[in-house]
Amino acid sequence: MKLRNRDFSGAPVVLDIENLVVGLAHTSKNEPFLHGISLRIRKGETLCLVGESGSGKSVTSLATMGLLPKGSLAVRSGRISLSGENLLSLGEAQMREMRATRLSMIFQEPMTALNPVMPVGRQITEVLDLHTRLGKDEKRARVLDIMRQVHLPDVERIYRSFPHQLSGGQRQRIMIAMALILEPVLLIADEPTTALDVTTQKQILSLITELQEKHGTAVLFITHDMGVVAEIADSVCVMRHGRVVESGPIGDILRTPREPYTRDLLDAIPGLTPRVPRPEPKEPPVMEVSDLGKTYHAGSLFNRRPPVKAAQGVTFTLKRGRTLGIVGESGSGKSTVARSIMRLIDPTEGHVFLEGHDIAYLPHPQLRRHRKHLQVVFQDPFRSLNPRWTIEKSLTEGPLNYGISRDEAVAEARRLLKIVSLPEDALNRYPHQFSGGQRQRIAIARAVALRPDVLVADEAVSALDVSVQAQVLDLLAELQQAVGIAIIFITHDLRVAAQICDDVIVMQRGVVVEQGPAAEVLAHPRHEYTRTLIDAAPGRFWDFAGRRYLEAS
Amino acid sequence: MAQTTRPSGMRSILRFLPLPRVAALGIGPTIAAVVLLLIIVVTILSPWLAPHDPMAMSPLQRLKPASADYILGTDAYGRDLLSRVIIGGRISLFIGIAAAAVSVALGVLIGLVAGFFRGADAVIMRMMDALMAMPSILIAIALVALNGPSIGSVVAAITVPEIPRVVRLVRAVILTAREEPYVEAAAALGSSTFKILFQHLLPNTMAPMIVQGTYIVASAILTEAILSFLGAGVSTEIPTWGNIMAEGRTFFRIKPSLVLWPGLMLTLCILSINLLGDAVRDTLDPRLKMREG
Repeated sequence: MKLRNRDFSGAPVVLDIENLVVGLAHTSKNEPFLHGISLRIRKGETLCLVGESGSGKSVTSLATMGLLPKGSLAVRSGRISLSGENLLSLGEAQMREMRATRLSMIFQEPMTALNPVMPVGRQITEVLDLHTRLGKDEKRARVLDIMRQVHLPDVERIYRSFPHQLSGGQRQRIMIAMALILEPVLLIADEPTTALDVTTQKQILSLITELQEKHGTAVLFITHDMGVVAEIADSVCVMRHGRVVESGPIGDILRTPREPYTRDLLDAIPGLTPRVPRPEPKEPPVMEVSDLGKTYHAGSLFNRRPPVKAAQGVTFTLKRGRTLGIVGESGSGKSTVARSIMRLIDPTEGHVFLEGHDIAYLPHPQLRRHRKHLQVVFQDPFRSLNPRWTIEKSLTEGPLNYGISRDEAVAEARRLLKIVSLPEDALNRYPHQFSGGQRQRIAIARAVALRPDVLVADEAVSALDVSVQAQVLDLLAELQQAVGIAIIFITHDLRVAAQICDDVIVMQRGVVVEQGPAAEVLAHPRHEYTRTLIDAAPGRFWDFAGRRYLEAS
Repeated sequence: MAQTTRPSGMRSILRFLPLPRVAALGIGPTIAAVVLLLIIVVTILSPWLAPHDPMAMSPLQRLKPASADYILGTDAYGRDLLSRVIIGGRISLFIGIAAAAVSVALGVLIGLVAGFFRGADAVIMRMMDALMAMPSILIAIALVALNGPSIGSVVAAITVPEIPRVVRLVRAVILTAREEPYVEAAAALGSSTFKILFQHLLPNTMAPMIVQGTYIVASAILTEAILSFLGAGVSTEIPTWGNIMAEGRTFFRIKPSLVLWPGLMLTLCILSINLLGDAVRDTLDPRLKMREG
């Protein structure tokens, strides 16, 4: 795979945004959110809008669609023209006509973008009902045709299916079919693959590319993932704090970034090359898991359904100061394993030895003694701290539970805040006053406040921007070095796994398919599924920090 | 820069005071608040404000029209209507608030248990379903008939049918809240079930409970009036809006004001409580607030 290198200078300009300023509606006093954005996309070109959360990339796309939230955001100045026509001068009705016929959009979460109580075929047909005067049979033929074009299997059946009967990837294909059925000149894709598994992501990306080439659609692709950018972009526009930091052809941006921010962004992307192996300490393991499994018995007395094996046969040992990665896509059972080890759910088979004690089936009162040796950090930093509690209360909850005096606990909380580099006055503040990365650091501080031996990080960096992700990973590495904590790292992201894990377990549909030292599993995968996963990692041919192709490809 | 941030700082402090927040919501709720406040102050001060003894009968003054001495006239026993209406408000409001407080308190406790413990859930909710299946007025009449007409039994009669509604609401809130990662994190930190229930989960129910509480106050006052009107309420010697109306009903053709005045007070009171409840719900619901802002 190579970076794209196509020349569009002769093609007509489809979208031309000039000096777009967007700010709060009804007032011109506040700082605008977008400070004069300019970008241009030509026919058949893919422009990737990259930036971290809050950089203004979604506001740009909503402004283009004329979908800025009414009464709160408004365009203050600038021009948005589509094939020469100024969109900002259009009225509500004209703009509605433009959407779907000339420009259309696909979103991150196809489940919420589709109507759950209407068959998907009818939902696509609705677009035709609104904008064309075709006969009933013609409409149906056209819908089936576009469904075939997005490579949906058995289109007759899917035509009658409801969104919940389809997989995430199929739903996103329906969204794409809906967006492209009237052959718009511009497609805006707002993080369309972020909610999907890597293997599905790969298919959707190649589908968008294929349809684009077929119809000559211009694509404005919004993403935070530089790997995806490397796969599909013709040109890139890097945004930060509502400004365009740098823009240019993909090759230039990835090879010779001019701005320090772009360089930092690229440097923060972990490579797919496994870390240099660390020597394994010669001491007894702190945790031994054997044949752990969790089976859910679905159905009721009258309606027997086959039991679901969410996870089975998980076996590993973990020593102090080591990191074990559990890698897999959604539904692979990796979180079930994590939660069974934590005893947040009760495993149905196997054993979990924590420093020699089997905690897999301990009743809760006895379990409490062992809880402090085993802590967890969750994925969503916005939900893992009680929003009504001050940081002090959150950080001291654990120590107070184990009989440490309040003064001592507060002193410890202060010390921990320093370790995770947050100011001391954070103690009296509430979670909503912190950014996602800061909250995740607070959550880590809370977890290590009990000085656990094992820390389970369940997708702990997945919700964070790359640069923040790097900081949090560094923090975990520091803590591990300082106190010799053992980490079980659950992730779907092979790059992250490669960067920090000593050993890796790859899971698929509740079963361990491959297990071993990270250097071996990730560099020389034996199981086909592992290979598929590695193949699907976007931008795997490119070394972002080294600004060059990886030799292997 | 520092100067421009100050007003917003002030505003955020003001936001925590209830009154300006309500006032900021518009004219309707503000009027409702003023009316309700007036009714409450008058009924609390009623023993001192009432021009006459509300129980004092005087056969010479039966069914008198409004006059300087009897501002709203007198009833069939020659008792001063104005005094009876403002004293009656005291009982009505007390019953409303007491019923709301008791049903919210019990409902929250039962709801917490039902929402958190899987095993208890099925049993409790079937009992609540059974309670909800019975017409609430019927339960109320049965309870009052069993225990005799007193303020206590009227409060109990109103509370029992309200509890299932509160339980359902609390249970729904707890069912979603207990899946939050911070609740799991608390379990991982070794917090006891008691602590998780009362420190992590209970606060989530507060906003909906404040709103539900106001509705219960309104409907309890109404139920009390209906019970009194049917003769199953507080004994007729103690005036409440309901039994004043019930007694006045006989003379409605001759002197409609006997029903109209307590009825008007009841209507005003319930209308303003409901308006306030809506306003509180809107302020506490971030989604509705976003839509306005």
